[in-house]
Amino acid sequence: MNVLSCSINTLNGLYDLSGVEVGQHFYWKIGGFQVHGQVLITSWVVIAILLGSAALAVRNPQTIPTGGQNFFEYVLEFIRDVSKTQIGEEYGPWVPFIGTMFLFIFVSNWSGALLPWKLIQLPHGELAAPTNDINTTVALALLTSVAYFYAGLSKKGLSYFGKYIQPTPILLPINILEDFTKPLSLSFRLFGNILADELVVVVLVSLVPSVVPIPVMFLGLFTSGIQALIFATLAAAYIGESMEGHH
Amino acid sequence: MANMIMASSKTLITSPPAPKTPPTLTLPLISKPLKFSPKTLSFTLATTLATTLAATPLPSLAEEFEKAQLFDFDLTLPIIAAEFLFLMFTLDKLYYSPLGSFMDKRDAEIKEKLSSVKDTSAEVKQLEEQAAAVMRAARAEISAALNQMKKETAAEVDAKLAEGRKKVEAELQEALLQLEKQKEDTIKSLDSQIAALSQEIVNKVLPVQ
Repeated sequence: MNVLSCSINTLNGLYDLSGVEVGQHFYWKIGGFQVHGQVLITSWVVIAILLGSAALAVRNPQTIPTGGQNFFEYVLEFIRDVSKTQIGEEYGPWVPFIGTMFLFIFVSNWSGALLPWKLIQLPHGELAAPTNDINTTVALALLTSVAYFYAGLSKKGLSYFGKYIQPTPILLPINILEDFTKPLSLSFRLFGNILADELVVVVLVSLVPSVVPIPVMFLGLFTSGIQALIFATLAAAYIGESMEGHH
Repeated sequence: MANMIMASSKTLITSPPAPKTPPTLTLPLISKPLKFSPKTLSFTLATTLATTLAATPLPSLAEEFEKAQLFDFDLTLPIIAAEFLFLMFTLDKLYYSPLGSFMDKRDAEIKEKLSSVKDTSAEVKQLEEQAAAVMRAARAEISAALNQMKKETAAEVDAKLAEGRKKVEAELQEALLQLEKQKEDTIKSLDSQIAALSQEIVNKVLPVQ
């Protein structure tokens, strides 16, 4: 008995150290529905960071930009470039969507890697990147679906649905299937990448204390940025695809 | 699979007798576990009494960990979507639109300035041509004026010269005339004296006769 409890205690200590908690949620109740509190908290922080920094940097634009304004101009140029390459000349109205998609995912991912969320203890579950939760990624993916349907319908009207029998009606099932696979692949790609990245870092930290996880952490930062870019680029590509004229 | 692993690991965390029971007791804050908490409590109490640590916590925590899901969809999804839309509109108002229009305006300004610089080079050329034309005209005017002046002075000089020459000639003519007259006079006067003189000469030469 003693040996057993002792071993359990040491194991307990180990798990406290690693703190792997997957699928644990800090539930809130709103009007009879459950929500994941930790996701909402971190998403608020991310939104606050984005709005605050943007408001601060673009408050009083100068002809010759410096510091923050320079950075934000660079980011805007980047977003416009991504939108323009994927959507084409009519990219203008879609810049806010693509840009917010990119910035929100990017800041979320990096907040999971850089902000010391673990210092704040929750009664249940733990704070992590909002994109660590399937709800966030599915929400973003569904918004992308809605966006490209809206883009196609507003551009071409009902003839947009003609794309389902292009180039031949035989492909109709596959074309319909695409509308389901697009959000599915978008959401699961992001979710899986971020979750896996966080898990790898946590497990490595629990196994090897200090130096070894650092390259993995940098790799995680890299992956996070790439995932944000992929999500935004694919969203723009879907929108551009539904807007372009089919022959 | 991961779920299962994590679930079993979590068992070990919450299982220790004394320090870890408070967290399981605080869980009732959350609605659903409320149903399980009395059971959990009784279980843990029972286990602590019986000191059968290894076996008993598993069922209660298994119940709890059935809720631990990766793919747990709930109201978070629409809330995040709404938050995203809010962020999109606010960022558009705060960031994309103002900074974008500012950058476009600046680009247009720079382009305009550049093209205006190119225009001024054409303008400069035109001005240079104008200046050259003005210079040419001025030079032509000056040379014309010079020529005219030269001509005028030459004519004047010629006229004066001709006048002087005429005068001199007239004077010369007069002088010549006078000289001729004097000559004739002298010849006439000499003529009258010639007889006397010749007589005298003859007398002198031939005195003896």
